[in-house]
Amino acid sequence: MARSQPGTSVIVYEPHLCTGCRYCEIACAVWHCGEIDVTRSRIRILFDEGRTTERYAAVNCQHCDDAICCAVCPSEALQKDETTGWVTQNATTCVGCEMCIVACPLSVPFFDPALKVAVKCDFCLGAPECVKHCSSGALRLCAREEAVRVNARLYLGAKDDR
Amino acid sequence: MSTQVTRIFRFDASGCNGCDIEVLEASTLVSLGELGIEIAERPEDANLLVVTGGSNLKSKRELEIAYNTMQAPKTVVAVGSCAATMGIFKGGYSMAGPIDNIVPVDLYISGCPPRPQVILGALADALHLNVEGMAELLRTPQGFRGDPHVDEAKCVGCGACAHVCPADAIEIVGNGATRRVRFMHKDCIFCGSCQDVCPSEAVELRAGQKAWFQAKDASLSEAHLAVGHCHLCGAPYVPEAQMAWALRRLDEKLALGASERGMVERSLGICMHCRRTSIAEVREAKRALASLARGSSA
Repeated sequence: MARSQPGTSVIVYEPHLCTGCRYCEIACAVWHCGEIDVTRSRIRILFDEGRTTERYAAVNCQHCDDAICCAVCPSEALQKDETTGWVTQNATTCVGCEMCIVACPLSVPFFDPALKVAVKCDFCLGAPECVKHCSSGALRLCAREEAVRVNARLYLGAKDDR
Repeated sequence: MSTQVTRIFRFDASGCNGCDIEVLEASTLVSLGELGIEIAERPEDANLLVVTGGSNLKSKRELEIAYNTMQAPKTVVAVGSCAATMGIFKGGYSMAGPIDNIVPVDLYISGCPPRPQVILGALADALHLNVEGMAELLRTPQGFRGDPHVDEAKCVGCGACAHVCPADAIEIVGNGATRRVRFMHKDCIFCGSCQDVCPSEAVELRAGQKAWFQAKDASLSEAHLAVGHCHLCGAPYVPEAQMAWALRRLDEKLALGASERGMVERSLGICMHCRRTSIAEVREAKRALASLARGSSA
């Protein structure tokens, strides 16, 4: 399966910096759909003010190497670009079987009833709007190698070796 | 052999004329006189009405007149998708059909248009004609697509066929414990798109057709699937067969480690709504993906 070449960048989300403003969702919806409809945003921020820990989380594409969505796609509509590191979806070859939606542990792709296909984060083809509009710095671009370390620290309890 | 002479009047209820050409072709395949069929020139002389097209506001009145003036016992055969459902004209501002909204229909012949062999076979069936020795004539020609058939053992119930179907002939019904995938004869135009997109190769357009029905909502083929329930909220979400297919596919394409595979399998048991709305689940999923990423980069 396809893996990114060294030096590609990826979006990381650090929940302890997030304020839950949801500007990323609005920016995403406006860029992709031309309207402020956060239900069509490719990124989703969850927050629960009642909790003392783990109050924020984001459903955002990790643009995985050996991506699960690409592996299950029967029509090869989901492709990993090794040069850029992006996992993008071709709406014209997608058949709307929802396999990617079912298989992705985060369920990042979602079904667009108007287009009858799955849609997902496409990295805004280079300059992600969510990152551009994140004022708190919770979303940022970083090298994939660093992102792997950050996520391991955040979710696997690994000590950061920076 | 029917004792009574059948006099057919063909009524064009504002279709595209595709069906009319096939009806004409059907009438040239055999000698109608030998089968006890005559062509009526006026509806007053006919006792069988062959209707093509979905009927618009203008032809509706004429169709009513034709039906009222024809001789008893009256038989109406609706030829083609338009006659059954208005087909591609569905939603048109001038449409008054489908035909069974205007006159009672005894037999529906599906297709866009139906093949002449199918029209002839349907008429022979409806009129109890003796067509022995005509089997070769009524056979679907080589290379033509037949009825869609769904293999229940292979179908995963994903609904891709329904999304792609240009004629909206595929119904996905039931959001509870079972899901049914139904191929409706009345709409099907035998285009084969369902067969093309099916991820599990469960749909096949088989050679041969018996595409005529007395019941309008009869299905050509259907599959029943058990739907999985979310381990968190208990709500039904996708068919169990779809989850199993996804997991099988992952095993084929990716060499997942045992613990990563376990995490993916666990997430398959949770509905998409919970995966996208529960903070704990999002963290769990990111844990799985972080673990996969670490494995990939190692």
